[in-house]
Amino acid sequence: MWKMGVQNLFSRPARSLLSILGLTVAIMGMVGLFSVARGIDALMSNTFKRVPGLIVLQTGAPVPLFSRLPEQWEPELKAMPELAVVNAELWQRANVVEGKMVVSPPRFLFGTDIATRKQLKHCVYQTAMIEGRFLIESDRNQPNVVVSRAIAKDYKKAIGDTLRINGDVLTIVGMYDTGLMLLDVAIIMDISTARTLTRFGEGSVSAYYLETQEGLDSETVAVTIEEHFRGREVPAIGSESLLTLNCGNGKSLLGNLLGSILNGTPKPTTNDTTIRENSEKSTALGETSDRAALSDTVDENMPVEVRSPEDWVERFEKINADLELILGVLTAIGVTVAVLSIVNTMLMSVTERVIEFGILKANGWTNGNVLRLILSESATIGVFGGIFGSSFGWGATVFINWKWSERIHLYASPGLLVFSVVFSIVMGTLGGLYPAWWATRMMPVDAIRRG
Amino acid sequence: MIIRAENITKTHRLGEHTVNALKGVSCEVPHGDFLFIVGPSGSGKSSLLYVMGALDEPTSGDIYIGEQRMAALTKKQRDEYRRLQVGFVFQSFNLLRNLNAIDNVLVPFFPQGVSPQLRKDATTLLERMGLGDRLLHRPNQLSGGEQQRVALVRAILKRPAVILADEPTGELDSQSGAEVFRILRELSSEIGSTVVVVTHDTRYIEAGDRILKMQDGQIIGEQTA
Repeated sequence: MWKMGVQNLFSRPARSLLSILGLTVAIMGMVGLFSVARGIDALMSNTFKRVPGLIVLQTGAPVPLFSRLPEQWEPELKAMPELAVVNAELWQRANVVEGKMVVSPPRFLFGTDIATRKQLKHCVYQTAMIEGRFLIESDRNQPNVVVSRAIAKDYKKAIGDTLRINGDVLTIVGMYDTGLMLLDVAIIMDISTARTLTRFGEGSVSAYYLETQEGLDSETVAVTIEEHFRGREVPAIGSESLLTLNCGNGKSLLGNLLGSILNGTPKPTTNDTTIRENSEKSTALGETSDRAALSDTVDENMPVEVRSPEDWVERFEKINADLELILGVLTAIGVTVAVLSIVNTMLMSVTERVIEFGILKANGWTNGNVLRLILSESATIGVFGGIFGSSFGWGATVFINWKWSERIHLYASPGLLVFSVVFSIVMGTLGGLYPAWWATRMMPVDAIRRG
Repeated sequence: MIIRAENITKTHRLGEHTVNALKGVSCEVPHGDFLFIVGPSGSGKSSLLYVMGALDEPTSGDIYIGEQRMAALTKKQRDEYRRLQVGFVFQSFNLLRNLNAIDNVLVPFFPQGVSPQLRKDATTLLERMGLGDRLLHRPNQLSGGEQQRVALVRAILKRPAVILADEPTGELDSQSGAEVFRILRELSSEIGSTVVVVTHDTRYIEAGDRILKMQDGQIIGEQTA
């Protein structure tokens, strides 16, 4: 019967091919859209697999870039018996590289304490070195940097070349390649060098990257650290470091945006009068209801929060859930149009073939048999639409990943591809239901006479 | 198998008009009979044929297949009746244009699956009809006579108890028409089928055993050939 269905379908090749094309485009769109969400999932998972340690941030800071912590807390952390290595980090955005404004992909100045960096068991950048060398003790206070292959390629640089960042001239001593979009954005240098270049507040760092002693549960260690600092205040830090990110009213636009996205907002430092005053002004204007709502989840007495790789992945999964909802709506629109096209095709086909169904019924075919024949035809459209749509969608993600490897990472998982084919078949079959029902409700003689 | 019609009426609605196609028709077709139903267009002969073949339902009255009242059959049983007991032949051949000759013959069996033996039987019958070299031809590659022979094989292959033919020679020349009746007579005798042929063409009625004459939805006469 399936063979007969396929024969029927291809007896009207142009119409059938157009229907298949319509569904192909819809399924391709679906694969493309959902591969964005899957890509983020995969990227997060792969990234944080490579960064297995804990990170201590200012409470509410979405990422280290928006976090400020006092440098004098480092000895306290190092004194904790649960921790094996404490590595101070300083993150700042590189706004101008080689005289060009950096928009996308972003580039970050990453200052790291070289001595403790070398003690890390899992140092993603050191293990990903492909050329030159990683930072050594003699790079302390020196304008030497390690960049990713992507950054070197972008600015056509090689080992030994200089790189102008925000007006300062740095020398490239090494090149790494983690293959991960989120990690290959760092221009790595000594933390003192970074502090000088970025005019980052004296006595402060962005975050601390930690490795725990072997065998300890990282969640337990995280709670221990947070409890250790409970009730403490983040001392005053220089606000000059925020200049590049803050707008006139003292609010970090990008920070607020990211904070909102990540369901957390950097808590104003206790003594940062400017930010606090502006925050109060905003409250008076009724602008901070969202911030207030978000801060509900923040423990005001906890100046730091410690995040494990799982925490990061969980946060991004929440964003992804919202993203998938939007993508689902977009896909639904495309698929609805495609299914309507199948309904139209099948309805036209069925109307033209009324006599055929009368003949089949006269020869003992049941309504169920006729229904199955028509559904097999519409399902065939679904099969082809699904296979083509998934294949082209997958091909498109491969092409996009290759062409814009630094800007976007799409992932059409085997599960997504199989789901797309099945979904397409289901949609194709559903598209044939009404025409099939229409065809079966007639008496055989009416069908023959109508024909 | 005896087919018995008791006081059958059939009313069609055509827009605002009501057409009484059958007005209390009663008749009986004994097992093995070769019956012609003749009459002018609109006399109700095709309507009677379709009701006998469970292609249509009477407005009132009863059709009996042997002792079984057709109105008492479930939809599934009526489908089974058409599939197993009745072979239809239509005026315009009614072959499926996407299928070749052999598949057109086998199409009634597609839902249940076609056994190799059945395919062999179909091939043998088609060859016997002189269509051995036309097995894989589609209807548009066959002449009218050839198409009707394919339709005949389709009706006969299942060895039905009843063959119902609606103007089977309506679109054929006289030579092909005569050939169709010769084959119909020959094959129905072989398998012991009852045959009911509706026609307004009286040239071939000598092939039958009995003739029912219809006019205005009623039987107006009966004669033995």
